[in-house]
Amino acid sequence: MRRRTGLAWANLSYERRRLLTAIAGVSFAVLLMFIFRGFENALIDSQIQLLKLLNGDIILVSKLKQNMFVPEQFARRRLYQAQAYEGVEAAYPLYTTTAYWKNPQTKRIRPLRVLAFNPTDPVLPLSGIIAHQRELQLPWTALLDARSRPEVGPVEAGIVTEVAEQQVKLVGTFVLGTDFASGNGNLVMSDQNFLRYFGNLGPDEDRRDLNTVDVGLLNVRAGEDIDRLAQTLRERLPEDVNVFTKTQFMQQERDYWQNNTSIGFVFSLLATMSFIVGIILVYQILYTDVAEHWAEYATLKAMGYSNTYLLWIVIQEAMILAVIGFLPGLIISAGLYQLTASATGLLMKLTVTRVLNLWIATLLMCLISGAIAVRKVQATDPAEVFGT
Amino acid sequence: MVRSTLLNSMTETDHSVQIRQLNYFFGQADLRKQVLFDINLDLPKGQIVIMTGPSGSGKTTLLTLIGALRTVQSGSLKVLNHELVGMRKADLVEVRRNIGFIFQAHNLFESLTASQNVEMAIELLNEWGNKRSKAVDVLTQLGLADRVDYKPAALSGGQKQRVAIARALVNHPALILADEPTAALDKKSGREVVTLMQKLAQQEGRTILMVTHDNRILDVADRIITLVDGRLETDETLDNFVEAHDPKALDRRMFIM
Repeated sequence: MRRRTGLAWANLSYERRRLLTAIAGVSFAVLLMFIFRGFENALIDSQIQLLKLLNGDIILVSKLKQNMFVPEQFARRRLYQAQAYEGVEAAYPLYTTTAYWKNPQTKRIRPLRVLAFNPTDPVLPLSGIIAHQRELQLPWTALLDARSRPEVGPVEAGIVTEVAEQQVKLVGTFVLGTDFASGNGNLVMSDQNFLRYFGNLGPDEDRRDLNTVDVGLLNVRAGEDIDRLAQTLRERLPEDVNVFTKTQFMQQERDYWQNNTSIGFVFSLLATMSFIVGIILVYQILYTDVAEHWAEYATLKAMGYSNTYLLWIVIQEAMILAVIGFLPGLIISAGLYQLTASATGLLMKLTVTRVLNLWIATLLMCLISGAIAVRKVQATDPAEVFGT
Repeated sequence: MVRSTLLNSMTETDHSVQIRQLNYFFGQADLRKQVLFDINLDLPKGQIVIMTGPSGSGKTTLLTLIGALRTVQSGSLKVLNHELVGMRKADLVEVRRNIGFIFQAHNLFESLTASQNVEMAIELLNEWGNKRSKAVDVLTQLGLADRVDYKPAALSGGQKQRVAIARALVNHPALILADEPTAALDKKSGREVVTLMQKLAQQEGRTILMVTHDNRILDVADRIITLVDGRLETDETLDNFVEAHDPKALDRRMFIM
């Protein structure tokens, strides 16, 4: 059995230049959607990259700490209470605060986020931190994030400068990256040094001690049902702490940035606009084809082809454009993602889900255009071909 | 529905087209304008009929009505034994598949080769296996054997029109409707095209109804009908027509045509 004459492809490909314009148009719309979705997720993913690295199966935070921005602590004894439950193997406190850092070269002050914990606890198992475990235990020492903003100054071991107006010596670096809560970078120090720097602040500043914890990490014994254990802790522990599994904790942070800030809205709007631009572009191409060949299409109708068949031709053209426009768009996007990631340090990831979602969006974009353009074919009256 | 009427009325008549008291209007309500008045016409099988008349006399309208391209509400219009009056649009499409249309413009898809353009017509009959050979056959009959895989842009005007004719004829329609098929052609190609149509009509007993202003091709007709202001004015054999329009007895109508 032979195939039906490929009228859709023949009509599309007959005029090479128009086909190339069409592919470029679809690719560009696809590219825009990828870039905007990419930026949106990069900004949101950056917010949870610290959380993702924290070594805890279950996370305890103060009831008031809705997101990592809120500087609310809970009592350290809650951690000890949690540790007493069957299945909880270890509990580690993480202390965080914001401290002024003096750029050793320009002497300008920049706020950094301080992450403090017992260096012997595997709280943040990054290679740079594990390697400098012993040096961290010395007084007045810290590690600086190598991905800090350039305004923070040089990032290398041996630098002596000031943090919270007290002398500090950098004993090494680690690699983490910035987010909104740690605008300029992260500083890691031992809990003892945390006490040295922030335990004796002036009367109008919030003094910190080791009795209140910002984030509590629980390690669960292997094979234990984490969700059930978290549920038990949630019911049994006093109401002043929130208990999350790590996944829930990251999801809560992600939801906060997605839903409670304008990031999600702005980028969704931009992606929607790209989608609409795509519809208009594809519509133009399809409409031109139909309008230029109306006499031929009308002749097909006179010969006995139904409207459904002509609809199918236009839909086929739309789908062909979707397929051959999507691939170049995807490839260029992948390149731009890498470029953006290396230039800004944002987490630009091309996930399979996003590729699939945008493929469906592209298909939908072309089908909507086809559905609008096809009305021109359906309105074509074969009787009009006579006498022209 | 169409198929069953076809069977029932198969024996009824030897006419391809049978028209009784056909009136046709354009527009609605106040703007309603009658373009065809009380047309009665029989086209027997195997006849070549040329329809002439001044512009605006309703020739094209009558052609599109016979071609099942418009819905008709009054009178009786039987085409290939289907009563078109009051027929639904979907059924009209079915009737059209038995009619070959040839237009003034060739209306070929520039993007398809001559053969593919013809194959588009064969596909309507759901014949897939031998569509290519059928298309090549009919193109060969029309003298285009060496142009089968050329696109219209590479063909001359006459060749393009012959491809269009091949497309109209390939399914062996019992009725062929042609609207100024030679208007866009020079004298020689026009003559070729008409001779081919005549040959095919004679060989296969098809009815051809052709609208034309081209006096050079009147001689192929068995019969010439004239439409003036929506009314069938004359219906003559070729000889009578030639006599009536003899240049020695010049008639004003010659110039109108």
